[in-house]
Amino acid sequence: MGMIALGAAIAVLTGAGAGVGIGIATAKATESIARQPEAKGDIRTALLLGCALAEATAIYGFVIALLIIGKM
Amino acid sequence: MDNMMEELAAKTAFTIPIFGGIPIADSCVVTWIIMAVVVLLSIILTHKLKKVPTGSQCILEGVMDWLDNFFTDILGHKGKKYLPFLETLIIYIAFANLIGLFGFVPPTKDINVTAALAGVAIIFVQAAFVIEKGPLKWLKSFLNPINLLDLITRPLSLCMRLFGNVLGAFVVMELVKGLCPIGVPVIASAYFDIFDGLLQAYVFVFLTSLYMAEAIEDEEQH
Repeated sequence: MGMIALGAAIAVLTGAGAGVGIGIATAKATESIARQPEAKGDIRTALLLGCALAEATAIYGFVIALLIIGKM
Repeated sequence: MDNMMEELAAKTAFTIPIFGGIPIADSCVVTWIIMAVVVLLSIILTHKLKKVPTGSQCILEGVMDWLDNFFTDILGHKGKKYLPFLETLIIYIAFANLIGLFGFVPPTKDINVTAALAGVAIIFVQAAFVIEKGPLKWLKSFLNPINLLDLITRPLSLCMRLFGNVLGAFVVMELVKGLCPIGVPVIASAYFDIFDGLLQAYVFVFLTSLYMAEAIEDEEQH
């Protein structure tokens, strides 16, 4: 039980990578909106797409963690 | 904890007693409810359409205009005939994610539902490819093994993204409710149920339309 919970916790660590990735993407998006406010719409679309793709890795970790816990 | 794992499992609502019993899942029943609500809304909202819109017709036209423009921007004029499918998809997923607010279990929390949605989306994209470019070009596209790989990874990631997000929101909401049942869940629900639910519906359909734009684009332009 203890080791399984530890395994699930390690799987959820993927969230760190997604957090860093989305943070960098948002920083760049804010920067580019400040530089070119007229391109706001396009930037927002690209940012949402990038965030969704980056977030997917965190979600995979979460799903794996749930599968591990479900095995108990 | 045990209680939670029980909540996570997809439950069977009832069983049809023919052919040795056909189990009907909770998500299926909730989907019927969503279908009824959407059909009723469509009938009520389009009942008395006027040349000069007033009241609810303004909202309806605004939403449909936004959806039309959004998809036409991505797909171009060639993709006009595929708009109804994509709009249906986004309306269904948005309703499915938001129905948690009314005390139902969101059907997208069931991995079978999201897998089916992703499968339908990817089959539709391939069908659009065949319609626009012909079956020969479609077969030829698989000479590039990346395209073959895309057939598996795209629906998998679409399915897992939607499922994981809805399930994650559900788990966090349950934890918050257990921690502090007064006040805080309202704020958390606004983010996890409304914002995240709508965002995921948007992302799912956005990605599907991107795949479709790639499938139906003209090669001569490049």
